Amino acid sequence: MAFSFREAFNKKFQRWMAKRIPPREQVTLNRKNIFIVPTRNGMLFIFCSGLVFIAAINYAVSLAFALAFLMVSIFILSILHSFNNLSQLTLTSRSAQDVFCGEEACFRVQLSRSPKRRHESLELNFPNSFENPSTASTTSYTDLAVRDTEEVKVFAFSHKRGEFKAPRLRVLTRFPLGLCRAWSVVDLNMHCLVYPRPVQFLMNQFDSGSSGGSDSAINREGSEDFYGLRDYVPGDSLRQVAWKTVARGQGMQLKQFVDYVDNKIWLDWDMFYGFNVEERLSRLCYCVIQLSKTGNVFGMRLPGCEFSPATGPEHRKKLLRALARFGDQ
Amino acid sequence: MELGYQIPRPALIWILIAVVLVLLPQTIRMPVWISVVALFCVCWRVLIFKGRLDYPSRMVRVAVVLFTLIVSFSQIRNIGIGLDSAASLLALGFVFKLIEMRQKRDIYVVISLCFVMSMVAFLYSQSVLTTLYITLVVAVTMGAMIALNRNSLIADNRGTAKLAIKIAVQALPLTIVLFLVFPRIAPLWAVPMQTGQNSTGVTDEMSPGDISALGRSAELAFRVRFEDGVELAHEQLYWRGLVLDNFDGVTWRRTRNSSAYSVATSLADFRISYEDRIRTVGEPINYNVILEPTQQPWLFGLHLAEDVDDEFFNGRNFELFNNGRITQRLSYDLSSFIQNQTDVLLLDSSRNRNLDLPNDGNERSREFARELRESVSTDRQYANAVLMHFLQNQYFYTLNAPLLGDNRIDEFLFDTMAGFCEHYASSFTYLMRAVGIPARVVVGYHGAETNPYENYLMVYQYNAHAWSEVWFEGEGWVRFDPTGAVSPTRIEQGVQEALRDDPAFMEDDLFSAARFGGIGWLNAMRLRLDAIEYEWNELVVNYDEDVQFELFERLFGEVTEQKLILLMSSLAIIVMIAVGFTVINIEPRIRRTPIDRFYLSVCKELAKMKLVRRRGEGPIAFRDRVCAERPELAAAMTELTELYVRLNYVEKYLSEAEQKSELRALKTVYSKLKAKMPALAGLRRGV
Repeated sequence: MAFSFREAFNKKFQRWMAKRIPPREQVTLNRKNIFIVPTRNGMLFIFCSGLVFIAAINYAVSLAFALAFLMVSIFILSILHSFNNLSQLTLTSRSAQDVFCGEEACFRVQLSRSPKRRHESLELNFPNSFENPSTASTTSYTDLAVRDTEEVKVFAFSHKRGEFKAPRLRVLTRFPLGLCRAWSVVDLNMHCLVYPRPVQFLMNQFDSGSSGGSDSAINREGSEDFYGLRDYVPGDSLRQVAWKTVARGQGMQLKQFVDYVDNKIWLDWDMFYGFNVEERLSRLCYCVIQLSKTGNVFGMRLPGCEFSPATGPEHRKKLLRALARFGDQ
Repeated sequence: MELGYQIPRPALIWILIAVVLVLLPQTIRMPVWISVVALFCVCWRVLIFKGRLDYPSRMVRVAVVLFTLIVSFSQIRNIGIGLDSAASLLALGFVFKLIEMRQKRDIYVVISLCFVMSMVAFLYSQSVLTTLYITLVVAVTMGAMIALNRNSLIADNRGTAKLAIKIAVQALPLTIVLFLVFPRIAPLWAVPMQTGQNSTGVTDEMSPGDISALGRSAELAFRVRFEDGVELAHEQLYWRGLVLDNFDGVTWRRTRNSSAYSVATSLADFRISYEDRIRTVGEPINYNVILEPTQQPWLFGLHLAEDVDDEFFNGRNFELFNNGRITQRLSYDLSSFIQNQTDVLLLDSSRNRNLDLPNDGNERSREFARELRESVSTDRQYANAVLMHFLQNQYFYTLNAPLLGDNRIDEFLFDTMAGFCEHYASSFTYLMRAVGIPARVVVGYHGAETNPYENYLMVYQYNAHAWSEVWFEGEGWVRFDPTGAVSPTRIEQGVQEALRDDPAFMEDDLFSAARFGGIGWLNAMRLRLDAIEYEWNELVVNYDEDVQFELFERLFGEVTEQKLILLMSSLAIIVMIAVGFTVINIEPRIRRTPIDRFYLSVCKELAKMKLVRRRGEGPIAFRDRVCAERPELAAAMTELTELYVRLNYVEKYLSEAEQKSELRALKTVYSKLKAKMPALAGLRRGV
């Protein structure tokens, strides 16, 4: 009963919120979308001003009255200054990168100010909401005091494969006095695609495939045959350094070994017979990652569509996106 | 160790400064060891911050709580539950919280306590200096709050200070309005303010040397302002305090009410009503006195002072008493008839009290008095003869009176012959009583310095004085000042002139500006500063429910509840709006040309028809889209866009002269465009 009431209230609140602060790529904060409430410290401050006031009454001390009134005035001004610290701040959504399920999705938000204003101690995060109970992650802090624009990365946990719509972004400030917090929750229409969660398994079936064919791909990170030399880059393993060439005074060079691998691998939906849809997608995802890493040429067949064999990052992205969107239509 | 919240470095420095500043004025009133503990805690906090020491462990904290409890009990036992002990305890808890503060919440507890401690400072003093100091403390505390909420990487202390001052200045108007209009409430329950401060000023006991001790002090006793421009000559400025009518051979005392004797006599005294004991002559003099805290209950005023507001008690001998010790500056209005006769009929009980002398001792004086009385015919002549004796013999007026033995009156009158006013008043009264003339000693102040800037009088502790009142048949009590016979300068020009060459004068206040009255600009500055203090007291410190009521009445006529509510709410709203405007500097609206405004209004019309111009879509691109989607609008839209583009972009960069001529053309086009609107609207209706 209570739950359904909460749910109903929440739905109503969300609808009100959507109407009050509609989703936009760019939102400038103003009095229509900034909310302010006193913090716990603010309550303490007001309580103390009450103490001072009572003492002023009891001892009939005129200046203690003045002090109590000064405290109240400071509190009221802190409301206005907190508002001021958010007002006219413009938030613009930037493109977000796709992530694997379970990772933190990184949304980039550009903050910009009008030249006469300063915005300090801004906190940006995705708060836990009713629909997304555990999207909250670390809070990003920034200032807009010196530079006119600032790009902030805000993170949210991705739980479900598919299109991920970022929850409402909360931008919050307690500046300057910490007595009240001003905040706004804006929907910047930020999206990203969540790939299936890759599940590791032994990929023997690809390794045992026919090798040494005419169409051979080269895996540059192999270890079987000597392929050539290349210049040493800091960070490379010292074990592969061709010390002979160093001794000859030709500088540090690296011995490269390669594997010759079979091409034209087909990833098939039916390969994982007996698994459910998500499990299949997770395994296919793992395959795509691994095969792209080793530079294989591979294709993929999903129910209803087929991707002809290819290689490279573009191909990888295309396949992963297809996996992420699988079942959407 | 868990890496929790770290207090930003600048914030900690600000807080420590605020704590030290707020405790500094308390240190003079607190026991020394509390200051030591406070210093210790501040140092500990700094060391925690530097990583040399850890936060206090659980054991230490328990020990601290126990320690504080024990201390508070012993404090209460020693000096009672008073302001001093409460303030000390508050300070202790405050500094202990300092070393224990880890979370932001803890810091806010310390910050809130800073404000409460500032309030405590006001309980002790409400002077201009204290107010300025507390303003500084509040600003620093606000700086701490700002530093706490800033990015710790911004080490911009100057910016923090600037913002703190800015907020404080913006808060000021609202504070003033609240101060003026917020209804003042009378104290909910009376809290006696007990402070351990020593009493100052004239006391109800007078031994030789007491008044001269005050002569060494240049502290202010009280300030007086006469109403209706009354000016009294210096020799008339006798500020009567207490009547001392009990002499034990060494000390003059006020007969205390607690003794059975005094209860009986006071009952006898009041058989005659208060009014019947007075015969007033002439007009009353009205004046206001602002008394510095004395920690004693009695008040000072001119002869036969009556308080206008009827707040005080009248003593048996026309003295005035406050209900309780005066621990804060007190302002009161008095009305005096300086030409008056009191107690023309003296009751026996009163007569006996004012004739009472110790049975033995001071034989030479008694003999001298008897002989002198026999040589003249009336009591009055006798009194004048005693004054003549002081005048004609080698008596000295000095602060450094020689020490006296057992027969004080004798030794002073016939051997040392040098003393301050208490010696003269004491021996004069003794000589009166010795021959059966009722007489008594009065202590208070005499003289004053005029402050020319605000036209009020300043009475200092060195103005303390003692004189006599003698009762004559048919005349009542008459004031006699034997000091005047010895040093007429004292009475006519004041104690500064009389004691100009006395090294002991004001020696307790070596650096008091009052000592350097001879240096013109310094003296002017002293008087000017005192005038500011006086006005501050008049305008701010004394602003209470009565003054508030008077102010309302003067401004708005009869005060009714509705009027009050209306006034307060409207004032509050006005100030809020004013403050809001100064703080929220509303962004200037983009100034659009008329042609732009028109184009945007057209776009708005189109948006209603679901033709929304996209972000970043130029007018031509928009026109194309409109034409494609709604061919029936194409003609109007094309013409409109063409005009708009030509006027807005092509003809935008014209010289000033051209601009002026084009302006007229623009206007005609504008009206033409406007005329096109109905057509557009008509199209929409047609759809």
